[in-house]
Amino acid sequence: MAGGGTRVRNQIRTLRFHHGEMTQQALADLIGVARQTVIAIESAKYAPSLELAFRIAEAFDVPLDEVFQHDQSADD
Amino acid sequence: MSASFEEKSVWIQLGGTVVGLGTYFAIAGVMLSKGVTEIVPYVPLFIGAVILMVVALVAGLVVAAIVSRREPRDERDRLIGWRAESHSSWILAVGVLAAITCLVFSIEVVWVAHLLLLSLFLSQVLCFAFQIVYYRRGI
Repeated sequence: MAGGGTRVRNQIRTLRFHHGEMTQQALADLIGVARQTVIAIESAKYAPSLELAFRIAEAFDVPLDEVFQHDQSADD
Repeated sequence: MSASFEEKSVWIQLGGTVVGLGTYFAIAGVMLSKGVTEIVPYVPLFIGAVILMVVALVAGLVVAAIVSRREPRDERDRLIGWRAESHSSWILAVGVLAAITCLVFSIEVVWVAHLLLLSLFLSQVLCFAFQIVYYRRGI
């Protein structure tokens, strides 16, 4: 994760939109983190722990791989 | 600036530490350069600096708690704290080793005490600086 980014991409912004335009604060409250942490995850500046990733997927009621994807092109 | 309560508290701790101990080192540096080599005259100065630091920290944290939503520390805050500490604690280790070396060569206690305090100060400042970088840049 050198350079401050993460190779884990996510669809959180899209999923929030499809869940009644859920706010970042509402999601943060739902999964028990600060709003800034949701912002950092959404903008791929922080890769959440596996447990938090599952909590995010459960909040949207979708499988984990619909929320997070590994950006393999960044490995090259 | 859009920042979590934890990030704001790191900025406040950085400011309070720099103001409190920075003032101490500025005055103590002048005293050392004038040849004050007894430890006793530095004690009231140090106590004053600690009080100044605590007042600055408390005032800053009270203001931050009033103007922003208080949120519990989460996993990102903890990871940032751990990583910043692991990248800054070497300064304290170097200071301790240097202080031991000074003692071996019978250098005056006032220098050893200030070397230890300076390494603790720099280690903390670097730790706060790393935390701010990780909060801003990402981790």
